[in-house]
Amino acid sequence: MPPGYSDIIASLRQSRLAFHFALSDTRARYRRSVLGPFWLALGTAVGVVGMGLLWSELLKVDRATFIPSLTAGLIVWQMLAACITEGTAVFTRQANVIRNLQLPYFLHPMQLVLRNLVNLAHNLLVFVVVAIVLAVPASWSTLLVIPGLVLTVLNLLWMALMLGMLGARFRDVEYALGAVMPLLFVISPVLFRPDYLPFGSTIIWMNPLSHLIDVIRSPLLGVSPPLFVYYTVGGMLLVGWALTLALFNSRRNRIAFWV
Amino acid sequence: MAKLVFENVTVQYPIYNSRSVSLRNRLVRLSTGGRIEAEAGQVSLVTALKDVSFTLKDGDTVGLVGHNGAGKSTLLRTMAGIYAPTSGRVLREGRLATVLEIGAGMDTELTGYENIVRMGLMMGMTSAEVRAATPEIESFTDLGDFLQLPVRTYSSGMVMRLMFAVATSIKPEILLVDEMFGTGDAAFQEKAKARMLALIGAARIFVFASHAPTLINEFCQRVFRLEHGVVEEVTSLPEENLGLSIGEGV
Repeated sequence: MPPGYSDIIASLRQSRLAFHFALSDTRARYRRSVLGPFWLALGTAVGVVGMGLLWSELLKVDRATFIPSLTAGLIVWQMLAACITEGTAVFTRQANVIRNLQLPYFLHPMQLVLRNLVNLAHNLLVFVVVAIVLAVPASWSTLLVIPGLVLTVLNLLWMALMLGMLGARFRDVEYALGAVMPLLFVISPVLFRPDYLPFGSTIIWMNPLSHLIDVIRSPLLGVSPPLFVYYTVGGMLLVGWALTLALFNSRRNRIAFWV
Repeated sequence: MAKLVFENVTVQYPIYNSRSVSLRNRLVRLSTGGRIEAEAGQVSLVTALKDVSFTLKDGDTVGLVGHNGAGKSTLLRTMAGIYAPTSGRVLREGRLATVLEIGAGMDTELTGYENIVRMGLMMGMTSAEVRAATPEIESFTDLGDFLQLPVRTYSSGMVMRLMFAVATSIKPEILLVDEMFGTGDAAFQEKAKARMLALIGAARIFVFASHAPTLINEFCQRVFRLEHGVVEEVTSLPEENLGLSIGEGV
């Protein structure tokens, strides 16, 4: 069996390890703080209030519709951005594990994505509060948040694996992506909805991350995402995994020498 | 029944200098049509192990000797399955534990106890097995209340005790130990020795890299000498053959 496939199978078999470390990493990070991971939620809340008040004035939009949409967009963006930027270092940061213990490599991207799901769960509290206070309507479309989340997570897994390999081999990737992420943020539908833009929404939908955001955000706001969003996200999933698997199969055994 | 077989194993690995790891140089190389290739793309290929064959079976205790950079650590990592051979075959049967680099895989923010769980799980124990093994690890390390403190407060000798205790508590059939084994104090060395001998007695494979001839003579019946990636089995171990750091135990 090609080394990439056996690695992924072994990783899935040991997925409880990824769960354990995702949780213990979160705990370790906030070890000596009182609020722990809720600092994250608090930070999000502060950001949402500040940005929400400022931008709703600037854009002259109704706060009751803008703030929920901003909150939902922001918490999803935080998960995407963290998985992508940290993804480039997912193997190099774990060099001391990789070079000393015989663990499957895909475990590390799994752990990264799981850890950010844990963070998302904390941030989701902020959205729930906002949704209750501003009476965001719930509908059957809200349930689409589940397939949306699954699609996004499956996409993030290949992204983290691919970027982890590229970042281990080419150390510039980490910094290059760090430089591009703010741009991707600006052309994502976090701060504004595509239909607010005067010059049309094409540029927003050129950003692949916009689709990953919308597939979760729209359902959170009680709306079904447009169908083309599902096509893009599904297409990214297939093409992304195909490329990543090809790369992982051919270069998996090199990773230990790269880190 | 543990087994470790190398069949004509060669391990080559690329060494990237800062130039070849950089994407910019890749791009420059593309745009200049490879004219400065010699300078920009320096990936030197190191042959760390050359055509190595041997068979280890139950009860074999092997000492690895050789100069710094002779390939001892690479051989241990290839034995462990961390490095994949470029050509040849590695056949490994049996539960494996490694003590290669001090502190490897530990999270220094976490306490000693939490790291026992972490390391134990990474080495393939279940949570229940870790819980069952904890009292014994506790007493072996002699760290007492220090186990409740974050590992970043430990000295390297204390980290070593903890790592060694966890690695041996999984009851490995194959145990691979790199040279930093000598870090502990005399008391720890004694305890470690007793524990090693007990493990070896239970018919396991033990491979140990060291510059200290006394330790090798004490633990190992077979001695492999590495030179430039070639493994040669030697029968006797005259002290002058070891070259560097005799008696230092590092």
